[in-house]
Amino acid sequence: MSFAVEAEDLAKSFGNIKALDGLSFRINPGEIYGLIGPNGAGKTTALRIISTLILPTSGYVKVHDHDVVDEASVVRKLIAYLPEEAGAYKNLSGEEYLRFMASFSLRENGSLEEMVAIAAQISGLGNRLRDKVKTYSKGMKRRLLVARALMTRPKLAVLDEPTSGLDVLHSVHVREIIKQQVKKYDVTVLISSHNMLEVEYLCEKVALINHGKIIAEGTPDKLKIDNDVENLEEAFAKVVGLA
Amino acid sequence: MLRWLVLLRGLGNVVVKELKELLRDPKILIGMIVVPLIMFPILGFAIRGSIESVEERLQMLQIGVVDFDRQSASEDLKAFLQNNLTVTLVSINASDIGEAVRLLQTDTNATDLIIIPSGFTQNISQGNPAYVEIYSVFSGTRGIAEIASSSIVSEYLEFYRRDLAPEPFNTISKSIVKGKPTDVPPSTLFTIMSSQVFVLPTTISILLVFSMQIAATSVASEKEEKTLETLLSLPISRFTILAGKLVGSIIVAAVGAVTIMIGFNYYMGSFMLMGDVGSGPVDLAAIGLAPTPLGYVILGASIFMALLSALALAIIISAFAQDVRGAQSIVGYLYVLIMLPMIIIMFTDFNALPLTAKIILLAVPYSHPMLAAQDIITGNYLAAVSGVIYVGLFTVALLYAASRLFSTEKILTAKLKFRGLKFKRKKIQNSENP
Ligand SMILES: Nc1ncnc2c1ncn2[C@@H]1O[C@H](COP(=O)(O)OP(=O)(O)OP(=O)(O)O)[C@@H](O)[C@H]1O
Ligand SMILES: [Mg+2]
Repeated sequence: MSFAVEAEDLAKSFGNIKALDGLSFRINPGEIYGLIGPNGAGKTTALRIISTLILPTSGYVKVHDHDVVDEASVVRKLIAYLPEEAGAYKNLSGEEYLRFMASFSLRENGSLEEMVAIAAQISGLGNRLRDKVKTYSKGMKRRLLVARALMTRPKLAVLDEPTSGLDVLHSVHVREIIKQQVKKYDVTVLISSHNMLEVEYLCEKVALINHGKIIAEGTPDKLKIDNDVENLEEAFAKVVGLA
Repeated sequence: MLRWLVLLRGLGNVVVKELKELLRDPKILIGMIVVPLIMFPILGFAIRGSIESVEERLQMLQIGVVDFDRQSASEDLKAFLQNNLTVTLVSINASDIGEAVRLLQTDTNATDLIIIPSGFTQNISQGNPAYVEIYSVFSGTRGIAEIASSSIVSEYLEFYRRDLAPEPFNTISKSIVKGKPTDVPPSTLFTIMSSQVFVLPTTISILLVFSMQIAATSVASEKEEKTLETLLSLPISRFTILAGKLVGSIIVAAVGAVTIMIGFNYYMGSFMLMGDVGSGPVDLAAIGLAPTPLGYVILGASIFMALLSALALAIIISAFAQDVRGAQSIVGYLYVLIMLPMIIIMFTDFNALPLTAKIILLAVPYSHPMLAAQDIITGNYLAAVSGVIYVGLFTVALLYAASRLFSTEKILTAKLKFRGLKFKRKKIQNSENP
């Protein structure tokens, strides 16, 4: 059985800083997998390596059996990456931006028009899509970017804190969409989040990472039972506090 | 009183913080202190060198003289020049002007030839109009020094004519272009050719600076607006992204270039009309000063190559900046490489520069289109084409480096590091806490 993501003993150093230190995990196809951990734990670094943006110092990651270093161009066809801090070209309209982004994705995943229509629905931006991105609020920009990551029906969506900066209603909406996409199009999702409610609601499996290593992994329920706590937040505090 | 003290201390604290912020920013440190310290001495050295080379030339200057008259007035004139001119007078024995010009170029290093026509003495003594011709070599490569020697000669003749000569005579200035005598005065040629001497180098410089600014901004704004990561994760080759940036910048730069050319052409046109009033229209093609179509192609290639290398360099350099402002100030240091050749080429004779200066100038890729602008007029296509090849190789190396940079994580993580500064600070800390 092949994995959607297979990370093995990943390490990454920035000068003296060890951002990742022997990170290993596996994600089954169709799974929503959550990475949680304190600030600076290495979540973003792991997601950037999987998205072919930076190179691991050692270890490897395979996305659907393709190595992210040696077969980066194949991997880029399979994934959609939503960076933690991302912007859109501010002099394009939302629609132009979506069109531009859709033009690079595989035709078999739907026509350009279809993708833009899906993105319009996901973002909920309506007529505002015709306005320039520079007139958007922070949350509107985030919705546009989430929509662009999901509209192409990637095999693997890598979402770094997808709902950060979104209001409650739109967070709920985006989570719904993520769930729908996974069901409808067989998308695998890897997200990082600081919102335990979100992780508990979305993820089938969660990895708790600290200092670049996984210190606990399992279903949200398992993590709660193992640590004998009421919710993920407490589990997080307990595990990270111990580590 | 106390209030004032409090105010002063507050001010002092703010000033200390400002100074720390400013002096710890490597961009400001380099821009305000290092660059001026290096740039001004180099500029001063170059300009002094060029002035000295012009002065030296004027001292070693030889002037050819052909006397077809060989009578008392012509002998007087020659004697006057011999005694008063700081330059060496070389007598040339020739049967006609064509031969004299040939001998001038083969046997002497003179760039000016005085011709005293037969009947000079007779015309003067009979009160008929008499004249002396001064032929000056127009090279098209000497920048502003082009008309220096010929104007010195005319001035001496003028001096003699007004105050010493018994009867007045006229001087007629003419030019030698590519070994052939023509009737066009050098000042007219200079006015016309100033488009090559001034307009092209300035236009090329502005174009280079402008497009480097665009290219640097296009990379840095992707970083500043946080769009680069998304772009790099898309299924397009990194080389395509790089090429897209290059082509985009070239198109914008080309539009800018055309606008600049049109503007400058209009501006220069107003001067050229003035220059032409006295002497009538000059057929540049007939005297061999109009660039051929091949020449234009070579100049175009040279400008394009330099542009491409400037863009690649700007993209590489700006990859080390975190935002647009940073990228523009880093790229700003490169302008020295454009401005210095421009000034040197406009104001000096490249051929008269010392060897090391020549080598340095040729090593800088941005000199080449400015030199090519001269080469295509003098017909020195070989030099221009070698320049294109050199800049081409330089560009290929840069593009390779740029595509390497784009295909690694460095484009995201690269930062200007000042290891030297950090190292020093560490050392100081160590000595403080043994
Ligand atoms: N480009 C970089 N240069 C140097 N150090 C880096 C770089 N990127 C990340 N780091 C370091 O690597 C470590 C992990 O950072 P990372 O961004 O992966 O954390 P994170 O888990 O995403 O944190 P957060 O919850 O705050 O987003 C941190 O110590 C950080 O300082
Ligand atoms: Mg992060």
